[in-house]
Amino acid sequence: MKREHPNLHPRLDPASTGSSSSGYSTMPSVNTNTNDDTSCKAKMWEDDAQADGGMDELLAVLGYKVRSSDMVEVAQKLEQLQEVMGHVQEDGISHLACETVHYNPSDLSTWLESMLSELNPNPNFDSVVMPAQPSIDDSFFTHPESSTITSIDFADHTHQRHQEQRKTNKHSRDVVFEDSSSSDYDLKAIPGKSVFAQPHLIDSSSSSSRDPKRLKSATTDHLYPAAAAASSSSTIGAGAAGSFGVSTESTRPVVLVDSQENGIRLVHLLMACAEAVQENNLTVAEALVKQIGFLAISQAGAMRKVATYFAEALARRIYRLYPQSAMDHSLSDILQMHFYETCPYLKFAHFTANQAILEAFEGKKRVHVIDFSMNQGMQWPALLQALALRPGGPPAFRLTGIGPPSHDNSDHLQEVGWKLAQLAETIHVEFEYRGFVANSLADLDASMLELRPSEFESVAVNSVFELHKLLARPGAIEKVLSVVKQMKPEIVTIVEQEANHNDSVFLDRFTESLHYYSTLFDSLEGSVSTQDKVMSEVYLGKQICNIVACEGPDRIERHEPLTQWRTRLGSSGFVPVHLGSNAFKQASMLLALFAGGDGYRVEENNGCLMLGWHTRPLIATSAWRLANKQVVAH
Amino acid sequence: MVVPLNTWVLISNFKLAYNLLRRPDGTFNRHLAEFLDRKVPANAKPVDGIFSFDVVIDRGTSLLSRIYRLTDGEPSQPNMAELEKPVSSEVVPVIIFFHGGSFAHSSANSAIYDTLCRRLVGICKAVVVSVNYRRAPENRYPCAYDDGWTALKWVNSRTWLESKKDSKVHIYLAGDSSGGNIAHHVALRAVESGIDILGNILLNPMFAGQERTESEKRLDGKYFVTLQDRDWYWRAFLPEGADRDHPACNPFGPKGKNLKGVKFPKSLVVVAGLDLIQDWQLAYVEGLKKAGQVVKLLYLEQATIGFYLLPNNNHFHTVMDEISKFVSSNC
Repeated sequence: MKREHPNLHPRLDPASTGSSSSGYSTMPSVNTNTNDDTSCKAKMWEDDAQADGGMDELLAVLGYKVRSSDMVEVAQKLEQLQEVMGHVQEDGISHLACETVHYNPSDLSTWLESMLSELNPNPNFDSVVMPAQPSIDDSFFTHPESSTITSIDFADHTHQRHQEQRKTNKHSRDVVFEDSSSSDYDLKAIPGKSVFAQPHLIDSSSSSSRDPKRLKSATTDHLYPAAAAASSSSTIGAGAAGSFGVSTESTRPVVLVDSQENGIRLVHLLMACAEAVQENNLTVAEALVKQIGFLAISQAGAMRKVATYFAEALARRIYRLYPQSAMDHSLSDILQMHFYETCPYLKFAHFTANQAILEAFEGKKRVHVIDFSMNQGMQWPALLQALALRPGGPPAFRLTGIGPPSHDNSDHLQEVGWKLAQLAETIHVEFEYRGFVANSLADLDASMLELRPSEFESVAVNSVFELHKLLARPGAIEKVLSVVKQMKPEIVTIVEQEANHNDSVFLDRFTESLHYYSTLFDSLEGSVSTQDKVMSEVYLGKQICNIVACEGPDRIERHEPLTQWRTRLGSSGFVPVHLGSNAFKQASMLLALFAGGDGYRVEENNGCLMLGWHTRPLIATSAWRLANKQVVAH
Repeated sequence: MVVPLNTWVLISNFKLAYNLLRRPDGTFNRHLAEFLDRKVPANAKPVDGIFSFDVVIDRGTSLLSRIYRLTDGEPSQPNMAELEKPVSSEVVPVIIFFHGGSFAHSSANSAIYDTLCRRLVGICKAVVVSVNYRRAPENRYPCAYDDGWTALKWVNSRTWLESKKDSKVHIYLAGDSSGGNIAHHVALRAVESGIDILGNILLNPMFAGQERTESEKRLDGKYFVTLQDRDWYWRAFLPEGADRDHPACNPFGPKGKNLKGVKFPKSLVVVAGLDLIQDWQLAYVEGLKKAGQVVKLLYLEQATIGFYLLPNNNHFHTVMDEISKFVSSNC
């Protein structure tokens, strides 16, 4: 059989009429190679080295990461699923929708595979499931005993829980595809029910990427191919603009709500003032800041408040009345509690992080949570309750709460721990607590935390809106991440603001934060309680002030978007743990409970979850584990 | 009949996902739908000379639209105050776009539609306003039409969208699949209310009728789409108890409106030859012609649904050319 391997670039030049392009599977008018081949034959193409890791660029723009070299296999999986769904009854399909947990739909290949495993968890399926492929060799599906990859008792899991977690099924499925991707598997054997042409299988380089990497522990390595070169993944995150090929620079999402005349003028003035400040034109800046003050008063709603905070911050910068760097922590705790009540951002952060922690702690008998963002400990009652209710009973729960020193003499960290201990007692969860005072997370060493051996006790590290502060001092984040690694965590949960407020150019930083906080303040407008709302605005106002008026180590609100955190964590030796459709759904339902909650949206982004106001993501939750960690069964 | 492999993968993926979302009892798994949908944020930083931003045009219904514009050749990005800077040309077409999804799927910020709208901006040198209308089954007829109408009124009243030539907003309505259907009905309302629409662009518009047509029988299940799923979406969108001769899906059917003598905009209707509902789309074209309306039919024999989502085939380029001509011929 004639085999075509032209080294053709798969992307069409849009300017061409495309009639002689290389990008097609066969289109009747362009197929000039049908001399001795009556069946439809595709011109296969190989990717020349591309910075995007061989991803199909057209699909990447649309949010799907599929390697060009995997396209055929993905198509095959789609076909298989279609076939199966044609034969399985309604119930069989609906279980895929209701009970299955879906992860990271951008990675089509893995997503399809996990659904295929859901539909046949036992590789020794009967022929009913795959009737249309009689010519497939039996070796396509190997028996579990011959698997060399799993330490999980496969038989146990299939019988216990049909809707098994993806990792178990992945093991079984992995074995299957390890074989199928070998180069001598001839796809031509599949009857051509599909619309696409039957291509010849390409080279076996695709199989090398399959290997043991298919294990959950390393599958996610596969998604983010080289930790060091994680920029490829970051181009396809929410951070990338709609068209592929844009650099990893941030986007600027904007949602406007009121486009009133005064609103625009106010923004004009703010921008002009910021520009004057940037150019050190302080006389002009001063004049503008006064004008802003006057105009803001006449403005209504969110815009007035935002403008006021930004104007104050500009004034501080102009007059060099920098805000105190160390705020009384008890005051900020109170403000944060009001923020917690007013709007769902913190609740979402806690909820989604807890979800990931819960999943990571499954089956573990002793667990230890290290919380970098202890504050009032508001995240933990819910987790304790969830653990108390878990089938098989709760684990022994240890919590290490880390926080800054109090300004008064109270040991507030201990008080918080006390309250949690009392709660734990009422719900019968064995509870141990230690409060740890530190000026900065970078002061921590793993040895201080009395860690126990990881076979004995599983660790989760949790950080909600804390990590960005470390960016204010060189080396701090690197130190903290390396200490986290020493903790050998089962999971690391990170929630951060989804914004770039750390640009070295003042004007850019100003503009970004103006957009961000305008949206955030707008989302608060609908909330009921005025007092909570005011306190929340003060809470946010302090962040604005820090971003705009401070510099150097005092400027701690150095928010960076998820794409940048991904790069940083990837190059520090962490790999993502995906949050799935179950967490998404529950988070969405939680939002629906919020009055004025019409505008809140949860979005899935390459395994992370984001909460935003309308179409503007505002915070992002991601989960991580160590790259070289093996999945250990209990 | 073959489509490019990545197109096949894209559309089959949608088909698979959509199968998971539709429940036999007529309800819809909205959470999973939103989880699976690939979205992109707006971007006020120009990409290929085009930037976008979102506006909540009706707080009450949370109606949002995404606006796409060309930069004025300025290298730097527009700041927040300049997003709604007045358009600077003598004539600027403003295309109000309604995304597809059979009334139930997708959003204005779905990646496939963000990409398509950006293309339209570039090709037509237009401002594109993509409407995030309310979807079925949670919001049935006439919600989507109401939202379209709200968006139209909003666009029509923006001074910054007025062309310099006549201080009016030059409006086109466009949409694919259900969006095409919405465009038609919004145009109807516009006509009744005296708002001028310069043209309608309908890409594979979604129409139906009670009768089963030849194309529906012949192509059922052959190219990604089944009659069964078409029926499901109409049941989800139409009022409870209505049949498919409801004027929403069958505008020239037994309950349809007579458009003779009505100042209806000229229409460009694109029909894919492998789309099972083509008989209804062709009937729509006929209906317009019989009513003395100006309509151009672009029939693409080899095209399947969704061919316009990827620029990797001839049909895509043909259609983009036609749209460009259609929109510019009013200058």
